[in-house]
Amino acid sequence: MTCSEVERILPELLDGAPDGALPGGLEAHVKSCPACSDLVSDLKLIASEARQLAATEEPAPRVWVRIAAQLRAEGLISDPAISVPTISVPTIRDPESAPARPILVPTSSRRRWTSTARWLAPVAAALLVAGSYVVSHKPAPEMAKQPAPAAAVTAQTPVTAPVPVTPAAPVSAPAPQQLAQKSDKPTGAIRPAVEPEPSTEDQQFLSAVSTLAPSTRATYENQLQAVNADIRETQAYVDRNPGDADARQHLMDAYQQKALLYQIALDRIQ
Amino acid sequence: MASLHYVNRQANFRKKTLRKTTVVTLVLTACLASAAIAQTKQEYRFTVGANANVSISVDTQYGAISVRPGSASQIVVTATLKSDKVEVDRQQNGNRIEIASHLLQGADQQTGQIDYELLIPPDATLNLRSSTGPLSVERLQGDLTLEGADAVVDIRDVNNGHVHVQTMRGPITLTNVRNGHVEIASISGDVHLKAVTGPVVRANSGSGKIFYDGDFGSGGNYKFSTHTGDIEALVPADVSADFSAHSVLGRVQNDFPLQPKQHSRFNFEAGRSFFGTVGKAASEVVLRSFSGRIRLKQR
Repeated sequence: MTCSEVERILPELLDGAPDGALPGGLEAHVKSCPACSDLVSDLKLIASEARQLAATEEPAPRVWVRIAAQLRAEGLISDPAISVPTISVPTIRDPESAPARPILVPTSSRRRWTSTARWLAPVAAALLVAGSYVVSHKPAPEMAKQPAPAAAVTAQTPVTAPVPVTPAAPVSAPAPQQLAQKSDKPTGAIRPAVEPEPSTEDQQFLSAVSTLAPSTRATYENQLQAVNADIRETQAYVDRNPGDADARQHLMDAYQQKALLYQIALDRIQ
Repeated sequence: MASLHYVNRQANFRKKTLRKTTVVTLVLTACLASAAIAQTKQEYRFTVGANANVSISVDTQYGAISVRPGSASQIVVTATLKSDKVEVDRQQNGNRIEIASHLLQGADQQTGQIDYELLIPPDATLNLRSSTGPLSVERLQGDLTLEGADAVVDIRDVNNGHVHVQTMRGPITLTNVRNGHVEIASISGDVHLKAVTGPVVRANSGSGKIFYDGDFGSGGNYKFSTHTGDIEALVPADVSADFSAHSVLGRVQNDFPLQPKQHSRFNFEAGRSFFGTVGKAASEVVLRSFSGRIRLKQR
């Protein structure tokens, strides 16, 4: 079995086998081929995370329609009937209920992605969805912004109801004690002094950009750090001021910035 | 006698200087010549239907792309290749033309560079992508999409089209863009908008600054937002707009006597927000920052 054959049939096999079990011949090839082994790991990870997303709460169908339309408009996917599939987009929906799943296709030789880059497009899309989910599902007791009362918000009240961070939403809110350290500035910028461990997606991102020149790699790392800091900072503010619609929009913008960073990195790596 | 000795010394000095200059000139000439030999210029011409919907895309990892208007039925692409480790892939499908740099084994940022100059039909749809840039477009009327990580983006004298720009940290400048649907996103690049008007003008930058110098047209919707970057709008006294500005954690400053509105979607916070109208409020202007400063200045 060749690598291209594996690439062609792997997505369908993984979707058909919830536990990710592979047929014997395929398994043997994957064990002997590092590239295919990486690909299988990536796909399993994406598929499992997609299922966990589904387990929390599935976004409205129009979200998927929009993502599919955007990917289609950018030429990243096309209908299976008219193109040769290489890797399927991980969908949260039950595979059986999805009648015509979009499939990523190479549009030219330049579009043949490396195995490390393949995860970036769906992860960027998932990131955007997750950001949208996090922002839109936060409790909003009041839409008009209330003047923030209080030093006490952070000094006495720990952050309640931490955001349900899904695996695709890689940035976690700062710990309550980190917020409390800044209690003298109740509604001010809060940047945790300690950088949290990078999420799985960020680790993959860093791994992918590690193939670039050192200066370029450093740039992407710095940009990722900055965007993550923005997300954490805004998330902390939104946690304390859930009724602030503007802050929620800034949080959404920050997630979009991260998706944009992933997209730009994908363009660079492919 | 002393003066004769002095003249001789001067003559010797001049001879030595002349010899040194000659050597330096020869070395420089040799360097330039070798650089010119390594650099190859190629020209491609594509014929398209006049008045057709022409779509052109140029995709390069490294290098500049410059686009200007040319003939309505012909596209001229001049590619300057910096080495033989990169080549130009080109494809025409009807009125759709794709140009792409193809890096060969061992190419890097220097040797993989191709600079493109294009002459295209003025109303063609254009997609440009270069990680390093710069990207420059002028005097076109079609839809434009420009993307680049570090690319400096410069768009000027563009009318009627949609203008979409995305960069990671490359600064973006739009000058004299009229009646366009403008959408700009950058992670840390500054955005400069000079005389930019249209029904929809949106700019978002994370840590970059946004500068607007213009009159906000009439009847448009303008939204500028940043996370930490400052926003500054410089507008004439006779501007006609409905302003709404809010910085969650930063400060705001306003030179205009705004007519207050009856209702607003956020409460007024002194020093952090302002809202109200000037003139007949023809356009809507929304300025938002998380922690950056917002300034509305009168020209």
